[in-house]
Amino acid sequence: MKTLLPILGGLANVAIVLVVAPFFQGVLRKVTARIQSRQGPPIWQAYYDLLKLLGKEDIESGEMPLMQRFAVYLSLATVLALACLVPMGFPSPMNGAGDAILLIYLLTLSGVCTLLAGLAAGSTYSLVGISREMMTMIALEPLFAIAIVVGAVHTGSFRLDTVLNGSVYATGAPVSGVIMLVVMLLSFQAFVQRVPFDISEAETEIMEGPLMEYSGPKLAIFKYAQMARLVIYSALFVALFVPWGAGLPFGLGWLAFWAKVFVLVLLVTLVAATHARYRIDQAIRYFASLLGVAMIALVLASYGY
Amino acid sequence: MMTPEQAVVASIVLCVAGAVLTLLVSRNKTVAGWLAFAITAGSAALILLAVWQVLTHGPAHPEQFLKMPAVGFALCIYVDGLTSVFLLLAVLIAVPAALYSICYMKHYEDYGVARYYPNFLLFLAAMYGLVSTTDMMWFFFIFWQLMTLPGYALIRFENRKPENIRAANKYLIMMQIACVATMIGAELLAITGAAASGSEMLKYDFDTVSANLPALLAGKPAVTALAFTLFLVGFGIKMGMWPFGQVWLPDAHPAAPSPVSAMLSGVMIKTGVYGLMRYFLWLVPPAAQADYPLANWGAVVAVLGTITLFTGTMQALKQEQSKRLLAFHSIGQIGYILLGTGACMALLPTKGPNAAALAAIAFFGALFHVLNHGLFKGLLFLNAGSMLHATGTQDLNRMGGLMKFMPLTAVTALVASFSISGVPLFNGFASKWSIIVGTVQGSVSAKYLGVCAIIAIITSALTLASFIKFFGVSFLSRTSALVREQAARRGRLEVGAMMQLPQIFLAALCVLLGVMPALAFRLMGGAMDASRQGYGIALANAAPMMNGPLRGLEELNGTALFAPLALAAVLGLMFVVARAISKLGRATRRAAVPWLCGYAQEAECHRYVAHNFYGEIKRYFRWLGGASRPQPEKQPALKGT
Repeated sequence: MKTLLPILGGLANVAIVLVVAPFFQGVLRKVTARIQSRQGPPIWQAYYDLLKLLGKEDIESGEMPLMQRFAVYLSLATVLALACLVPMGFPSPMNGAGDAILLIYLLTLSGVCTLLAGLAAGSTYSLVGISREMMTMIALEPLFAIAIVVGAVHTGSFRLDTVLNGSVYATGAPVSGVIMLVVMLLSFQAFVQRVPFDISEAETEIMEGPLMEYSGPKLAIFKYAQMARLVIYSALFVALFVPWGAGLPFGLGWLAFWAKVFVLVLLVTLVAATHARYRIDQAIRYFASLLGVAMIALVLASYGY
Repeated sequence: MMTPEQAVVASIVLCVAGAVLTLLVSRNKTVAGWLAFAITAGSAALILLAVWQVLTHGPAHPEQFLKMPAVGFALCIYVDGLTSVFLLLAVLIAVPAALYSICYMKHYEDYGVARYYPNFLLFLAAMYGLVSTTDMMWFFFIFWQLMTLPGYALIRFENRKPENIRAANKYLIMMQIACVATMIGAELLAITGAAASGSEMLKYDFDTVSANLPALLAGKPAVTALAFTLFLVGFGIKMGMWPFGQVWLPDAHPAAPSPVSAMLSGVMIKTGVYGLMRYFLWLVPPAAQADYPLANWGAVVAVLGTITLFTGTMQALKQEQSKRLLAFHSIGQIGYILLGTGACMALLPTKGPNAAALAAIAFFGALFHVLNHGLFKGLLFLNAGSMLHATGTQDLNRMGGLMKFMPLTAVTALVASFSISGVPLFNGFASKWSIIVGTVQGSVSAKYLGVCAIIAIITSALTLASFIKFFGVSFLSRTSALVREQAARRGRLEVGAMMQLPQIFLAALCVLLGVMPALAFRLMGGAMDASRQGYGIALANAAPMMNGPLRGLEELNGTALFAPLALAAVLGLMFVVARAISKLGRATRRAAVPWLCGYAQEAECHRYVAHNFYGEIKRYFRWLGGASRPQPEKQPALKGT
């Protein structure tokens, strides 16, 4: 039972993510369309898209098709492995497999797979996108790391069930926690790769960057992974910054969690639909200033604020 | 049965004798190569015997050879746990490097091997000696010179290129400065210490200095502080610490033949780390620890380490020459080791919660990273050597699509790139994890460590960026004109089995230690247990205990944990799930060429090369220096092919 429970919990998370992710994408597209005074696609469109892509011809334009396949599968695999580590309505199921530092590095790995896939395809447009994506990751990754480290310093623990439970506020005067909440809200759009920070994909200029050469099932897997990333990052955000309601009885707590995630997705949609894309240098400067603020929060945290 | 000390002396003698023998047969490259490999392997067997004895039966006693008491001269050798770890590292890199050399050296058509194998063996002997001698003056000097001079000869091996001679001269000068600094430091401690205790006999011996230190620390704190500063400078130069590393290291490593670069970066600069650890943590006996400002030294080392890791890696990001890029990363990775060591030194004397346990975690991380860096950087330099062998250039801008031609080298390079960037399930992650756990939780006691830890995490992303570029533009991306031309001319670009084997061996070790880091932690725990002296006692007592190699790492009462095997199982299962999903629609596959929007045919000038990567970041950090040099080879005109 002791070893079975984490496995069942992990599988439950994976199943929920796989089922729910396209739904959120559908909502996102519908709401975006309404904001822009369009009718928009049906809310189930994302499921139809995935199913259709899975059956389409798979064109491999790279010189190393094996590497392309490996990178594609790995991109979804890391995202789903993350789903096992992130609490979704109940404490993180596989918290025995690793701690918050592992989480930080796994999040990076999930981004890197797309880059490897783009490099293996080798189109110039892909490589432009990869260069941009990597620069964004360099500026972004530390923000999330600081948020987690602030929680870890407050609680003196790296355990996922301790850290991913509103740990950033775990002091008398949670100044650093509130600063990090603001910082993360201001950069959340970039973590889930939506406008105005979808610089690495930028359909209108470099045609989806790393994904440009991908079609059929491989594109479906990438799209699926991206949708799942939205869910997982939202879940992480909720677990870290909006823990209230997690103590409710199981069913209610679970519902409250997904309601919070849904609200966060709506927020992402709202920002995405009303903003224009930044240039990469503007984005990096923006993240760098956030990073400065986050560093202050970290120093405050080590002094116990 | 030989004692560990006798085994080390025997292996040194064997290497020196081997140097003479290889010089005699150096007319024939193959014979000399095999002979050098056999001697390296023989000495490695002796060293492994010594290491095994120390780790299983505990250390023996210091032994003296070549005694000359009249001048205070004796070859004092002592192999304890800390020494064993560094000896093991030397062996793990030297044997693959020697095997790799046999074929690699044949492609130098107009350079003989008379200046290569003898120097290689002397260099190795010196490293064995330097980490096991307890004589802080004479034999330190002899081994240091025995390492520096053959190293100098190896770096200027291709002596028809003026830039290699310049690099070697720079190396020689910096090493002599380091030697002088360290020896003055030892003299300061020995002379004042001996005067205080009135003993002349073997006054430069580590134990004598250690025994005299309490009086010295209490009576003359300024002199001891000066001595320790000189040690920091001397060993800092050797290991490539900022600001000294940038002076010599990035020029010296690319100039040497690739197996030697692997030795320089994998083992030689670690002797500086060894010196730092040994002198700062093992020299001061428990009685004098109240007078010794270890926390302040820890702050200095941790901050210097943080600067080193950021500057080294940021400068590496700008490089477009394969081996120069790797050399800058050596500086960056040394920064991690320094940060871990510094955090350990800063935390040991504090009274904070779990201070000793956190210090031990940081120190284990640093020591593990010493081992890991040797493995993955050694491997990367061998990979760079294979790339050089295949394409004849170090210029990443002219490479592309090599994976199709050299799949095995590509896979090992991917393993090494993942390891150095700290991807979970590879060895670099486990050691970085340990360093970060120590520094983050240590920030409660020493506030600056939190910022250091975040800079280390940022740098980890920079390292990843740099290796995405390194691996992507050389092995992936599209075949470049140069690679196509070389493949057409030579038929086969992949290196032979003799050069593949060392790469496979190192890559396998990277994966093994990544999946079972507890193995290394047990080894290091045993090593600490076998080196109870100075602060080593505190570290040995606080050493995190592991319950077998399959358990993963669990520290600080389970508040920090990493179970690689469970993670591997989850990732593997999810990989299968992802693959199954992609097969649901039974889509057919077709190969095609990339789409360039219909306007143009694929051509050399459309390739996105190393130079184009990360323009914005390079621009923001232009002030940091280390910009890519103009290439020594003539740049081909960018024309469509």
